[in-house]
Amino acid sequence: MQPLLKLSSIKRSFGAIHALKGVDFEILPGEVMGLVGENGAGKSTLVKIISGFDNGFTGEYQVNGEDVRFPYPGKAEQAGIAIAQQELSLIHTMSVAENVFLAGHNVPTFANKRTLVKMARPFLNEVGLDSIDPAIGVDRLSVGEQHLVEVARLIAHDPKVLILDEPTAALGESDSIRILDMVKRLSERGKSIIYVSHRMDEIFKITDRITVLRDGESQEARAASTLDVNSLVELMLGRELDNMFPARTMPEAGKPKEKPLIQITDLWPDGLLEPVNFDIRPGEILGLAGQLGSGSGEILGAIAGAHKTRSGTLDFGDEQFLPANPQQAIAKGIAYCSEDRKHDGLFLGRPIKENLSSPSLGSISKLGWMSRPAESALASDIAEKFTVDTSRMNDQAGVLSGGNQQKVALGKWLSIGPKVILVNEPTRGVDVGARAEIYQKLRDLAAEGTAIVVASTDIQEISNLPDRVITFYRGMQIGEIGLADMTAAAILKQITDPFNETNL
Amino acid sequence: MNANAPAVSRQAKTPTWLANLVDKYTWLVVTLVALFVLTFAYGMITAPNFLTWFNFKTIIRDAALVGIMAIGLTFVTLSGNFFLLSMKETAALAIIAFATAMSAGYGFEISFLFTMGVAVIAGALQGVLIGLGGNPIVVTLGAAGLFFGVASWWSENLVISFRRPHGAEWLGSGSFLGLPNITVAFILIAIVAELVLRYTTFGRQVYLIGSNRAAGKATGHENFSMAIKTCIIASSCSAFVAIAFSAQVSSAHVNYFSSSFGSSGDMTILVIATVMVAGNSIMGGFGSTLRSSLGAVFISTVDNMMVLHGFNSGPRVLAVGLMIVFSIIVFALVRRGSRVQE
Repeated sequence: MQPLLKLSSIKRSFGAIHALKGVDFEILPGEVMGLVGENGAGKSTLVKIISGFDNGFTGEYQVNGEDVRFPYPGKAEQAGIAIAQQELSLIHTMSVAENVFLAGHNVPTFANKRTLVKMARPFLNEVGLDSIDPAIGVDRLSVGEQHLVEVARLIAHDPKVLILDEPTAALGESDSIRILDMVKRLSERGKSIIYVSHRMDEIFKITDRITVLRDGESQEARAASTLDVNSLVELMLGRELDNMFPARTMPEAGKPKEKPLIQITDLWPDGLLEPVNFDIRPGEILGLAGQLGSGSGEILGAIAGAHKTRSGTLDFGDEQFLPANPQQAIAKGIAYCSEDRKHDGLFLGRPIKENLSSPSLGSISKLGWMSRPAESALASDIAEKFTVDTSRMNDQAGVLSGGNQQKVALGKWLSIGPKVILVNEPTRGVDVGARAEIYQKLRDLAAEGTAIVVASTDIQEISNLPDRVITFYRGMQIGEIGLADMTAAAILKQITDPFNETNL
Repeated sequence: MNANAPAVSRQAKTPTWLANLVDKYTWLVVTLVALFVLTFAYGMITAPNFLTWFNFKTIIRDAALVGIMAIGLTFVTLSGNFFLLSMKETAALAIIAFATAMSAGYGFEISFLFTMGVAVIAGALQGVLIGLGGNPIVVTLGAAGLFFGVASWWSENLVISFRRPHGAEWLGSGSFLGLPNITVAFILIAIVAELVLRYTTFGRQVYLIGSNRAAGKATGHENFSMAIKTCIIASSCSAFVAIAFSAQVSSAHVNYFSSSFGSSGDMTILVIATVMVAGNSIMGGFGSTLRSSLGAVFISTVDNMMVLHGFNSGPRVLAVGLMIVFSIIVFALVRRGSRVQE
């Protein structure tokens, strides 16, 4: 069979940096091709070249056997190549139907809303949004549904190849499943799909073949059925990654429970259905498991004073309080990383050094005057602990890769000597290698006596990292799972269907 | 993951300095700046009496009043709180307060403190509203009307004058080491402001909050107190300029900063232009008061050069406008080149 797209020996340099050093890529009609690789391996560059955003490459690019070079993305679209990017490009004040026809393809010059609604229906059905009224505002949909609307818009142009760039990165379990279902349905109808993802389980569930990029070079595409998670990670890293997750030790039976560091009583953050009660113990990694919308992230925010809270107290040592803002929480030694590091975790335009010292300016200054040497020492100390290149301390944080940004966002809290570190989605958008480093670091901190609380929607992460998991479902606290019973299945049951409402 | 990987080696050949510049800033920027430098140099050489010590002192003195206000406003802009559109109205309120106190015979010290008190209240009022989440444009536009209204009502729209000799003469017309005291004050304020921004925790907070307000809050730096502090700094600088100006002319009127001031006439616009010509980021987090001080001197230099060439006020206002457009384009291009795509 002739490949639909065929790229051979693609090279792309930015100044002295060689992003792609020789990549071969092809996709057959009706095929789902996985594209994986660490951050910085060249996935996004390759995707940009395929979709016409970048035409400064050397090498051959053929569509249906004909040489092409798209001067701008619109040309690639005309050739039947559509891309759904990570950041959605929907217009939030418009209806679903209007968003589907944003580009105006095949829309009559004078079309009222009813016409658009009628025209949008088949495309929405195709992506699995059968139950959505196309006339409602797009901002009333969940993030996952918005992704589906974005894809429906692309399908309206009848593309032959659809590129999905980490469509599930920001989605919970149930929304992710809808995306995967959609991919399957579209491929059955003969569309070729390039699926870019960090999530191993998805890759194996839906792809026919997998192309691995490593340091700007492609590995030969392999049938998904011939690979397993370990061999795929090995291909991505070029070496074996023995243990992604650090080892955990079972608590000894009969040993009395350690006195909690923080006892949380009747904490009721906005967005939860009822108050929650649990404790955080020193030296443990506590996991808060739940899908998007379960409220686990809001609980972390509430403990850190970053999220609005109706009631509740924290018993912390001899004190009882509830921080009203992050400033108060920081003063007590509570550190918090939200799930969106670009929003409130990093000062992207400021040097890495300033990011690392930002929570503890008081400790490196006297009478309001900062000591530059003290700051540098503090920053390089943290950077060394988190394996961030200490020679880059004066570079802007924005130039770092996702993994290194997360290390900086997390590492900055070491400067306050925290007693508790709350992390929401510790490894979102972080590649496999940096992920293992972050897990190890969290485990090391716990071993030193710091309490770590991790909220995550990544089932692999939440079942392998923590010592203890508390589960949440739609704003309610469900149960607690100890290390002995901690399996992905047990957690999944509690966070997706705790009341046996469906027969899964 | 890539932290410890060796950095990709730069190209080995060492290009000429011009190729280096072009590589760093693109042809467009280099050409634009070169064109500007040539025009500037031509104007400088051909202007009569431009390159004299006396003229140099004139330039700095002309820059001083706008420069001091621009330094104050820079704190607001750097902290991500945009601009105060009430700069000249704050000055109008302050000059009336000062002249009223002086003409009532309270002496310089009391009048100075009284005026600064008024300015601090004016700044804090705006700062609180902005800190609570008010849009800076709306808040300061409202405050501008309020201050100007109070000042004209208070002064009954009349010129308030106080007779020489008075205790403020040293500031208005005195000099130190051959430099007018206003120039000395400008230089001192510029140095202190830059030191504060660079070496104090307050200065760092200005940059951090300006760079990312949400991350600032998350790391314990609230914009509420920052907005109040920076607005007080800006309005105090306005008040200081008002006092210095009043000391010079021994009188006050609410319209002193609205018309016939500098080349463009409107003090607020001139101050904002200065902050922008200097290349400070409008969104905050990037820039410095040193830039603003130099921006003031720069505008004053161009203005001075055009006066010496015999241009009247129309073309001079045009020139200031062009400089703003020009510097915004150049700084935007330079910054785009230096920032890795996110």
